Amino acid sequence: MTSNSDIKVSIEHLYKSYGAETAVKDFNLDIAQGEFVTLLGPSGCGKTTTLRCVAGLERPEAGEIRIGGETVVAPEKDIYLFPEHRNIGMVFQSYAVWPHMTVFDNVAYGLRVRRASGAEIKTKTMKALELVGLDHVADRFATKLSGGQRQRVALARAIVYEPDVILFDEPLSNLDAKLREQMRDEIVRLQKEVGITSIFVTHDQSEALVMSDRVVVMDKAVIQQIGDPEDIYANPVNSFVANFIGVTSLLEGKLTARSGETCEVEVPSTNGGAPLRLRGTGAPAAQTGDRIFFNLRPEDVQLHLDAPDVSDGQNVIEGKVIDTIYLGSFLEGRVSASGHEIGIQIDHYENLRPDQTVWLTFRPEHGLCLTD
Amino acid sequence: MAVDTSGAYLQVDNLVKYFGDDKAVDGISFGIPKGAFLTLLGPSGCGKTTTLMSIAGLHTIDGGRIRVGETIFTSPKEGLFLPPEKRDIGMVFQSYAIWPHMTVAQNVAYPLEIRNWDQSDIDDRVAEVLELVGLTDWADSLATNLSGGQQQRASLARAIVSKPSLLLFDEPLSNLDLKLREQMRVELKRIQNEVGITSIYVTHDQSEALVMSDEIIVMSKGKIEQRGGPVEIYSKPVNEYVSNFIGIANLMKGKVVEVSEPGIGKFEVTQDGQTVQLPCRLTAGIAAGEDAVLSVRPENVHAVPEGGGGVLTGECIHAIFLGSYVDCRVKWGDFEWKVISHPRNHPRTGEKVHLRFDAEHTLAVQP
Amino acid sequence: MTTETLSPTRERSRTSNRLRAMMTQENLITFVVAIIVAGAVIVPLAVLFVSSFKVLDPLGWDTAWGFGNYVEMFTDRIIPKAFINTLIISSGSTVLATFLGVSLAWINARTNCPGRDYLEPYNLIPFFLSPFVGAIAWHNLGEPQTGLLNNLARDVLGIEGAIMNIDNIWGVIWVTGIFFAPLVYLFVVGSLRRMDPSLEDSARTTGAGLVRTTMTVTLPLVMPGILSGAIIVFVTSAGEFGVPFKLSAPYGWETLTTQIFSKAVGDDANHYLGAAMSMALGIITVFLIWVQQRYIAPRSFTTVTGKGFRPNVLDLGPWKWVAFGYNLTFIAVAVVLPIVCLIIVSLHPVWTGKIVWADLTTINYVKTLFWWRPEAISAATNGIGNSLILAFGGASIAMVMALVISYMIHRTKGFGVRMLDFLSVVPIGFPGIVLAMGVLVTYIQTPIYATLWILMLAYITRFFPYGQRNISSIMLAISEELDQSSRMAGASWFTTLWRITIPLLKPGLFAGWILLFIIFLRELSISIILFTTGTETLSVGVYYLTNFENEPLTAALSMAQTVLLLIAIYAFRRFAGREALTA
Repeated sequence: MTSNSDIKVSIEHLYKSYGAETAVKDFNLDIAQGEFVTLLGPSGCGKTTTLRCVAGLERPEAGEIRIGGETVVAPEKDIYLFPEHRNIGMVFQSYAVWPHMTVFDNVAYGLRVRRASGAEIKTKTMKALELVGLDHVADRFATKLSGGQRQRVALARAIVYEPDVILFDEPLSNLDAKLREQMRDEIVRLQKEVGITSIFVTHDQSEALVMSDRVVVMDKAVIQQIGDPEDIYANPVNSFVANFIGVTSLLEGKLTARSGETCEVEVPSTNGGAPLRLRGTGAPAAQTGDRIFFNLRPEDVQLHLDAPDVSDGQNVIEGKVIDTIYLGSFLEGRVSASGHEIGIQIDHYENLRPDQTVWLTFRPEHGLCLTD
Repeated sequence: MAVDTSGAYLQVDNLVKYFGDDKAVDGISFGIPKGAFLTLLGPSGCGKTTTLMSIAGLHTIDGGRIRVGETIFTSPKEGLFLPPEKRDIGMVFQSYAIWPHMTVAQNVAYPLEIRNWDQSDIDDRVAEVLELVGLTDWADSLATNLSGGQQQRASLARAIVSKPSLLLFDEPLSNLDLKLREQMRVELKRIQNEVGITSIYVTHDQSEALVMSDEIIVMSKGKIEQRGGPVEIYSKPVNEYVSNFIGIANLMKGKVVEVSEPGIGKFEVTQDGQTVQLPCRLTAGIAAGEDAVLSVRPENVHAVPEGGGGVLTGECIHAIFLGSYVDCRVKWGDFEWKVISHPRNHPRTGEKVHLRFDAEHTLAVQP
Repeated sequence: MTTETLSPTRERSRTSNRLRAMMTQENLITFVVAIIVAGAVIVPLAVLFVSSFKVLDPLGWDTAWGFGNYVEMFTDRIIPKAFINTLIISSGSTVLATFLGVSLAWINARTNCPGRDYLEPYNLIPFFLSPFVGAIAWHNLGEPQTGLLNNLARDVLGIEGAIMNIDNIWGVIWVTGIFFAPLVYLFVVGSLRRMDPSLEDSARTTGAGLVRTTMTVTLPLVMPGILSGAIIVFVTSAGEFGVPFKLSAPYGWETLTTQIFSKAVGDDANHYLGAAMSMALGIITVFLIWVQQRYIAPRSFTTVTGKGFRPNVLDLGPWKWVAFGYNLTFIAVAVVLPIVCLIIVSLHPVWTGKIVWADLTTINYVKTLFWWRPEAISAATNGIGNSLILAFGGASIAMVMALVISYMIHRTKGFGVRMLDFLSVVPIGFPGIVLAMGVLVTYIQTPIYATLWILMLAYITRFFPYGQRNISSIMLAISEELDQSSRMAGASWFTTLWRITIPLLKPGLFAGWILLFIIFLRELSISIILFTTGTETLSVGVYYLTNFENEPLTAALSMAQTVLLLIAIYAFRRFAGREALTA
């Protein structure tokens, strides 16, 4: 690969297993200076293992990791740097703020082990505390802080010595919903302000969408897709990604015809009714007769109480309401059509009765065909 | 003796409860019909749990009266206090409170054993209830081997097994993670519907309240702020507090300048030199010339192209992509509008944005 | 609604009024129990305090009020030296026990030392055995002429003289240090084992190496545990009677406890001087326990997260075999050597320091165990019976009391609860011998003196807090909603207690019971003050034999006690599990 001075972290052909179980398989990723990359996936997908390999808390079996141009681990070349020699910062899920030190001492720790001068420790620590809005509690013991504040201490502690990269291991999952959103925005703001390269691990897709420049979706030890949030949401490469990011209805059927961009898909009925014939886009390599997952996002579906006019080429599905959930800002519902469940989302309140007949329409370009 | 003549199945009159000098519940009254699902909603410390505990009999009350059906549960003035075990109530706790030294079936059978049912009747009823909550396969496992969601199902089964006259829920879902919580609230509602037991549900989670309830009582500082159905509470909050607590709202101080017909008028706001008059609905009791708060939900503020009916123009300072929607912040003077847009067509950060409001969903409420 | 339909409600209201009456009864019960516990705990200590100001006239007939006893403590020929010896012994054994306890805990919890999970139970065995018996065993191992090790050194290695002499205060430090090392271990291992690994990981990623991480993060985090353990060892050593009695007192190193003992019984008994010395010892230990409870225990850091984390384990490389050897050596020195030595000695008619295979006999066991045989020694055989009665009865009564007190403290919150809470800490501050002195001066004129009841009373008063802690920790962990949901299911208060609360506490009740059973079975320092002929206990029997008979007989009864204790330890591990101790 070309050596690019803009690349801060580079991971090549990383392998790691626990006994017979492969945790990470052939992981490749380059992260640019200042980029915020999220590793996203369900638990056990290998995202945390990858992060811990970067940190040096786990030793991979094969591959190479470079941070700031320096190889920090490469089993084939017998290179392994201890975590303390990698110039990284890390924020843990459990905050890991040391309870026997004050907030100041916690944050100053990294500077002290780097033998910074007293004056430098003082100014840099206070500046980091100011950044996270905790300068007024510098002398307090960490045990006296709330969960959100502790996580801020951990954040300040990780950035104070200006590491090459900062690693986040699900830092928000111990916080309650309100605080989580606050901290999420705060981390993004801080990351942009400091311009520090970040790798963020989470299982929460909304966190990944909101925070990241790029998202790496992982499942079963393997990278499924890499892309920016809107791209991954709009163009998932397979049914796993489609299902994991956001809410979607996946209908399994067969490709029956193709004309240009448009695929015609037949989804067989599971309750003896007529099959659904849908038009969508995507799956350029698929042949007629191939299996297709038809991916339909609830927010792309329009609901009609009477049979709609579809002369403009929209798909139309007739179905019956299963149930609805009123969430205030919108109404979430499920509609059954030919035995399949289709999720809908309406932005106003509609008094829908279960079993009521409704019509759903959507544009062909919003129905994504996936082969895998 | 004053006997309430209301047809309500559960009637709470002037309930007062002190903790030390703190008035936790400040003379609230409400009644609910048989079979209804009522939610007490409010932030912690608003008195909702205290009200529930008073109905359960887990503490005594300082004033008022609680009646269910023909039975007076408690009425300090008359010297009446029915101990909790005599009240015929099923209760589901936040911590599940599944007894770890018993199997699931034993947990569920317990209330029936206490009521001296025949063993064969107990077995039948327990099997029936376990099927209802979907735990048939787990009947003989120890409660500690269950996941959080399953424990909560077992807890529900135990609460309904004796067909109690009343079902009480004390934040039953708050220990579960988000995904499970969303699943369980639909499930809980389904089971309650099926058994048809009058239920009171306490939560601080407004979305839970909106999804599950027939009726919601919003509480604050020991008092009732508003009572109504989910749609009513969400779309017609009576004051700033309710508007803020339920869902997300753009709340802006201003003045009602015109009342054209009852409940409909115009609201004037000034920001950054721009003065805008917005047609709106008015909460009862607001007259022209009075200070009020404008409440508009983010989904009712529309970012439209030039000439699309926008009444004010701001700048999008933040567009947060959340998959099914995009959360935009639009700066207008010192005010930041929260606007929800469709992911296929949304403003980008830094763009100029025109905002349009529906009069129907623009509300002037009491400050 | 008419009056007729209201009448069933009225009917119910009468039951509800009864419940209200019971609410006050609950308060009443709390108050009564508090009074009983206060009586048991406070009265002996108060009488002890008052007695310490009574000065016996030279003829021993009459007493006068005054500070004479306290003056004598400083002017006496022996007592000031005893004070200093106690201080040296306590400090020394604290240092030794802390070093051993912390190093073993670290090896077992944080390194890849081979077989560490299997070794842990054996590391803990000394915690349950009798230090007095340990001292007897080590006397037979390390006495210059008759010590087994010294003789082996002479015979096998051909060394002149002795390689060691255990009969001095260094010997006392050695034995107490080894026996109390598990105390420190138990205080430390929990926080080492359950420490959130990211606390250390974050120091590593911040740039600190292994050594620096250990010194600035790991060690400070377990420091409160280490200090607590060290203080408990100091206090327990200061109150230890058996070891100095066996190893140092006969050779001129008296300690406070051996001096208190000599003032309690024997020819120059002076209860009032004994009371003054007990007060002096008690004040020191109470102060230290107060410091531990008030300042150190609350500082222990909650480093545990909810998740089932595995702690970071250090790969020692080849050094792991050194750690393994160190661990085995401790077990050999603390458990295996003493027991083997006792078995060997007990099988000889007389002990000369050398194994004589031709002379081996079981006569010592016959004399100490077979009470129906004419040659049986009654002090020994009585001791076995009495100790079993005291252990079974005392543990049972103490646990019932502990249950009632815990329930009141954590559930009813009635009047007197704060006092109960306080009273269940006080006995921990006083060494057994001090409390026994108080009980002696309080009850010597009453009919319960010279019965097993006075021993039972003192045992329970001194040790019920251990049982109470076992129950309280579980009661705090189980949510009150478990009780409440039973009430909501229609069960009364008593049914709830019987079917929900007590079954949930069962592990704690059982662990506490066996712990007390073990403590009572080996108890010496209370028994030695309060026994009379006929009410000897097992340890008193051992004392009697070592004082008035020979070493082989002593060893035989010691082995009997050790076997009983080992069975109880097995039961403890089998039923209560490791968590009961290390949690």
